[in-house]
Amino acid sequence: MRNIYLSLLLLLSGTAFAQMPNDGLMMPQGQLCILGQYSNSAWKNYWQGETKRSNSNLGAVSTQSALLMGNYGITSNLNAMIGLPHVWTDASDSYLSGQKGVQDLVVFLKYQALEHAALGGKLKLQATGGLSSPVTNYPADFLPLSIGLHSKTASLRGVFNYTADFGLYLTAQAGHTWRSITKTDRDSYIFDNELILNNEMPVPNVFDYSVRLGFIKTRFQTEFWYDSFTGLTGDDIRYNEAPQPTNKMAAAQVGWFGKGFVTKRLGLIVTVSQVLSGRNVGESLTWTAGATYFLDVNKRAAESK
Amino acid sequence: MKNLHLPYRSAILIGLLFAFNQCDKTPENPVEAPYAETSLDQPAGNWKTYVLVNGSEVAVDAPQASNAAAYTAELADLKSKMAAATNEEKDIAQWWGGNGVARWNKIALELAANYNVPPNNNEDGTYPVPDAANPTVYPRFPFANPPVTSRALALLSVAQYDALVTCWHHKFQHNRLAPYKYDASIQPLIPANDLPSYPSEDAVVAAASRELLKFIFPGEVAYLDQKAEEHKNSRLWAGANVQSDLSAGDSLGRKIALRIINDWAKKDKMGAANNQPGFAAQRDDATARGITTQWNSLDLPTRPPMLPAFGNVKTWNFDEATKIALRPATPPQPGSAEFEASLVELRKFSKECTREQFRITAFWADGVGTYTPPGHWNRLAGDYIREKQLNEIRTARVYALLNTALEDAGIACWDTKYYYMLPRPTEVDPSIRTSTGIPNFPAFTSGHSTFSGAAAEVLSYLFPDHASDASAWAQEAAVSRVYGCIHYRFDSEIGLAHGKKVGEYAVSRGRNDGSE
Repeated sequence: MRNIYLSLLLLLSGTAFAQMPNDGLMMPQGQLCILGQYSNSAWKNYWQGETKRSNSNLGAVSTQSALLMGNYGITSNLNAMIGLPHVWTDASDSYLSGQKGVQDLVVFLKYQALEHAALGGKLKLQATGGLSSPVTNYPADFLPLSIGLHSKTASLRGVFNYTADFGLYLTAQAGHTWRSITKTDRDSYIFDNELILNNEMPVPNVFDYSVRLGFIKTRFQTEFWYDSFTGLTGDDIRYNEAPQPTNKMAAAQVGWFGKGFVTKRLGLIVTVSQVLSGRNVGESLTWTAGATYFLDVNKRAAESK
Repeated sequence: MKNLHLPYRSAILIGLLFAFNQCDKTPENPVEAPYAETSLDQPAGNWKTYVLVNGSEVAVDAPQASNAAAYTAELADLKSKMAAATNEEKDIAQWWGGNGVARWNKIALELAANYNVPPNNNEDGTYPVPDAANPTVYPRFPFANPPVTSRALALLSVAQYDALVTCWHHKFQHNRLAPYKYDASIQPLIPANDLPSYPSEDAVVAAASRELLKFIFPGEVAYLDQKAEEHKNSRLWAGANVQSDLSAGDSLGRKIALRIINDWAKKDKMGAANNQPGFAAQRDDATARGITTQWNSLDLPTRPPMLPAFGNVKTWNFDEATKIALRPATPPQPGSAEFEASLVELRKFSKECTREQFRITAFWADGVGTYTPPGHWNRLAGDYIREKQLNEIRTARVYALLNTALEDAGIACWDTKYYYMLPRPTEVDPSIRTSTGIPNFPAFTSGHSTFSGAAAEVLSYLFPDHASDASAWAQEAAVSRVYGCIHYRFDSEIGLAHGKKVGEYAVSRGRNDGSE
């Protein structure tokens, strides 16, 4: 059973992070997959620049999200995806109010450029382009409790996948995300020790890559992955201060993903991941639980005639 | 086998995009070009000074005459320096020409923002104290919180003002004009004027600011020295001063800054402002007046109160007895009906804060890592100064009136806070969560409101067509603390009124300082 699993972590715990763990599968033409996913990410330690520390005035900083996503096969080589999360934040020992709201709408177009039988399996090359835009007017400059960076983004990534006929697979991907300026409610801020007298904060562009090793069969799939992203410019969190959307954020994390089909159409997904090292981000432990449902849009259209 | 061209083309495209992926990600400040002097203000040499007796108290050597051989040699030296100036140096000359007093004010705001960081706690739960003898070791000295910043700006502005009054006095004694008045081949890079140029007002301001800011920020000596040298050199690159104008100005500015430091700053009781051992007696004093429910730190771990004796620091525009007479009356006490009523709207704001209320709170927060509320009002004053194209001495007068009022407001407010020890709303009702940080000092009255009331009063007097703007800003700053759920409404209303009264004393001085 072909399916595509898409997990989108747009912003977790002050990290701007567009990740698409991708098993290299494409949706067949006319098929729609709907994903509903809950995500919970929390940290106590964080990196102030490259120095790991904690802040007793925060406690555990958590970000939860509920994501709704659709993935449609326009053709068997071209898929379109759309997603929208609702995000909640909180800091367990802080008197500061947690934030909540609908975050950023994300749209992807994925193109399979090449599929070639080789080495006892299949080699695939894919390219994905994405756009995202905030949907509500949430404040960005309230880290680590803001629900997002309120920046418009555009991304481009390349995906390589090899899947052996007996089920083992390897996926490697790399991508680049451009991010627009974000506006702060203040009319001045410090960037790199310089006083800036306006309300526009540049948000660094991001380069990311990941490697996934997994196993896939008709009714289940599991994989381990390693994932890294780096802001390409930006300043560091200053001594004993709050993060800022201008910060150079980076993180490397490892994770596990598992999926099983309960019925022909309904799949359940679980992931767990841990940030191992970072810069200006939290040492997050994240778990997600979701369900995917599969619809044959063409067949239904034919049936209803 | 599918078509291979597309993936290769895609790869090349991606590669290209990686290559020029960076549109400039460095934020920029607005360019503020130099403007012409709108008035010479010859009588400014007789304006009332703050620390000096008057503008003639400090002497300056008489300059060489404009027809002397020594001066002619200086003109030749100036021309060669102008010719040798690089494009970067010419840009710097333009930058410093955009009002040297305002530029040094911005340098002070930037330093304040960079030093406005509360220390992180030690492993054992105690907090380290910034050490003036080791200013660059974390926690850096000073911790530029709102009271410290208000005092730093007041000292800087008074030093600049007293020095410029003296400078103006001597300029019109000697009447030696700018070099381009004696040599038509000198084309200045900034607007020309008829102001006598000996001693150089820019060198006076550079030296006075450099010395004063080195006193406040001892970890920044190299940076401040470099900035002052750059400011003075910019006058050569601009063709606006000869070297002797600058040397005389530097000597004068430095002398006067040291007078402000020795005659005021070292005697104003700031040294005792962080009197932690004396805090227990302050608590007992409040208890004796019937104040049984008192403020406690909400920081984790518990942090000692911020500057409990800043209220004893010497004020500029009124005396100790007046300060005490102006002090607000006892606020509603926890448990009383009026106090409980004030919590109702805070619980509401805590649960449902609109986006606009959040924005107002964030706009006026001026908290950790920023130039503080006094800095915010200096920034607004800078906009008005530029709009009216005030010359250096009038600019210095604006900042001196504003910043002495702001420091007085900080002193009056801190005196009130530690007299009444009122707890913060979240201490009394932990369900009240906030949209801004809770500062580590008692509630009544609101510092933001007191600073803003004073600043609006002074700026309304100095810029009458901005009076209603300034007043509206002050109201918004005051209510922002209520929206943020860290102050009761009476903290802000009474703080605003208290600040306005403090500001009136600065206005009264301004009306009588000889400038009108």
